[in-house]
Amino acid sequence: MRLIHVAYKNMQRRRLRSALTIAGVSVAVAAVVALVGAVGSFERQLLAVFQNRGIDLVVAGATTVQRLQSNLEEDLGRRIGRLPGVKHVACALIENFSFPELDVLGVVVRGLEPNSFVLNEVALIEGRKLEPGDGDVMLIGKVLANTLSKRAGDQFELVPGRSFRIVGVYDSYNLLESNSLVVPLDALQDLMDRRGKATVFMVVAAESSQAAVESLAAQIKPLAPNIDVLPARQYVDSLIEVRLARAVAWFTSTLALIVGTIGVVNTMLTAVFERTRELAVLRAVGWRRATIVRMILFESALLSMLGAVVGCAMAWFLTQMLRLTPTGRLISGEIGWYVVAQGCGLALLVGIAGGGYPAWRAAKLLPTEGLRHE
Amino acid sequence: MSNARTEATHRGATSECLLCAQELSKFYPDGRVQALDRVSFHVNRGEYLAVMGPSGSGKSTLLNMLGALDRPSSGEVFFEGRPLSEFYPWDRFRCEQVGFVFQSFHLLPALTALENVQIPMLETRRSAAERASAAESLLELVGLASRRHHLPQTLSVGERQRVAVARALANNPPLLLADEPTGNLDSAAAEAVLDLFARLHGEHRLTLVVITHDPALSRRAQRVLRLKDGRLIADEPVEGAGPVSDQ
Repeated sequence: MRLIHVAYKNMQRRRLRSALTIAGVSVAVAAVVALVGAVGSFERQLLAVFQNRGIDLVVAGATTVQRLQSNLEEDLGRRIGRLPGVKHVACALIENFSFPELDVLGVVVRGLEPNSFVLNEVALIEGRKLEPGDGDVMLIGKVLANTLSKRAGDQFELVPGRSFRIVGVYDSYNLLESNSLVVPLDALQDLMDRRGKATVFMVVAAESSQAAVESLAAQIKPLAPNIDVLPARQYVDSLIEVRLARAVAWFTSTLALIVGTIGVVNTMLTAVFERTRELAVLRAVGWRRATIVRMILFESALLSMLGAVVGCAMAWFLTQMLRLTPTGRLISGEIGWYVVAQGCGLALLVGIAGGGYPAWRAAKLLPTEGLRHE
Repeated sequence: MSNARTEATHRGATSECLLCAQELSKFYPDGRVQALDRVSFHVNRGEYLAVMGPSGSGKSTLLNMLGALDRPSSGEVFFEGRPLSEFYPWDRFRCEQVGFVFQSFHLLPALTALENVQIPMLETRRSAAERASAAESLLELVGLASRRHHLPQTLSVGERQRVAVARALANNPPLLLADEPTGNLDSAAAEAVLDLFARLHGEHRLTLVVITHDPALSRRAQRVLRLKDGRLIADEPVEGAGPVSDQ
């Protein structure tokens, strides 16, 4: 028999209370794993859009709160392209569309020049790529095509009264890309009445060393007022949409974690009070205060780790449910081991934090007082 | 007697005296209630001592001090000639040198008899297998080997107390302190516990200090201390008992 065995048996003595505490912790863990995990997954996919194409710098408007509403002059791209350290530059106009009548919200539409290097790696599974001189045509990601039941050759009304012909369907392991549309830059500018405008410029440096990229950023910065020239990671981190989603996910998760911790404190304090005499006997037979503390912490950690297991299962279920919502197409449904590890780590912290005070109360109990306790 | 002289006296008595109480007094925090009033006595190695007295006479307070569960307001307890203050931390002292038996057994209800006996052993360096084996032997000693996988609530009160005695012996202490060990038992179960004490004393040379109201138990001891209002009023050998030390 080991100390953990004693802790486990103690937990088993109060099954209903333990089950309720585990339920409380599991909700907290589910919130962390599902919400924080979903936001993390979105961030990673967004970052992959840049990193997979070797994009070193992203140029966006500095003064806009929402970077996706940046209104840069398209001509800036040509000036960037003329700098000696630039290998490629792509101009993009990015818009968000929703099609409530189809129950599809938040579709990213990227306006790109047909010969943009960004489109070089597109994996077509049907039809063709964009070509210079194309008018109102579009490429559609495979997941979105399946959602909308569209294929190459079909028409799709992007706004009422203006249809675009689908010329190609592309596949991407990146869910964000697979759920998006690509249209010629000038067609999107015309559609949105933003002629000559761009949202971002994506720059590939001729030399990708940090010093070379930093030097290139310093050369780009003075080319236009009020622009930010950022590495891809920093650009993604700076997006207000990402920051808001992250903040909401953590706020919700933190509230759930606090509630879970209070549940553990309550359960363990009650257990310590109920077992006052028993704890005194343990002290009388020679247990050190540290052993009492370890036993109580083992109990609370066991509760919280069981909560973590149930919580991860709940998170998987919750994620599958979230995928059924109108914006759920952007959720991969996969739960990474690091998100599970994060949830389990936080559950362990909840256990230790929740068991800490009861353990301290138990340890400071004098054996003679405890033995008199009725 | 000065502290220095007291200590010197008891250091000199180590060969015979296991436990010495010197001028023990205990005031409770409000300062008005004096639970013990300058109580002095000694317990020789291998001796079987009964402590008797009416309720509130200070018996349990005395036992708590002998077992390092509580400290006297003045005076000192000496163990093997050394003051208990030298044995700090006292949880280690209790773990290695003292076994406690309580009136209400105080077994952990979620653990089997075998697991309850191992509880004090969790503070030692023995392996899990060694602990289990030692606990099996102790349950055999108290005649409960066949009941080792039973939970306390499925045992009779007499069996529970014998499990508690086995637990008290878990770390092979030289001293067993028992507080009304037969107080909750019927006469047959009490007799079985007293027989067990007699065997531990006679065959295993254990030193026993037992608080009791039970005349049957006190007759089995070698010496009886009587307390009243916190004072030691009698320290007398039991008629027909054997010698009070193992010398």
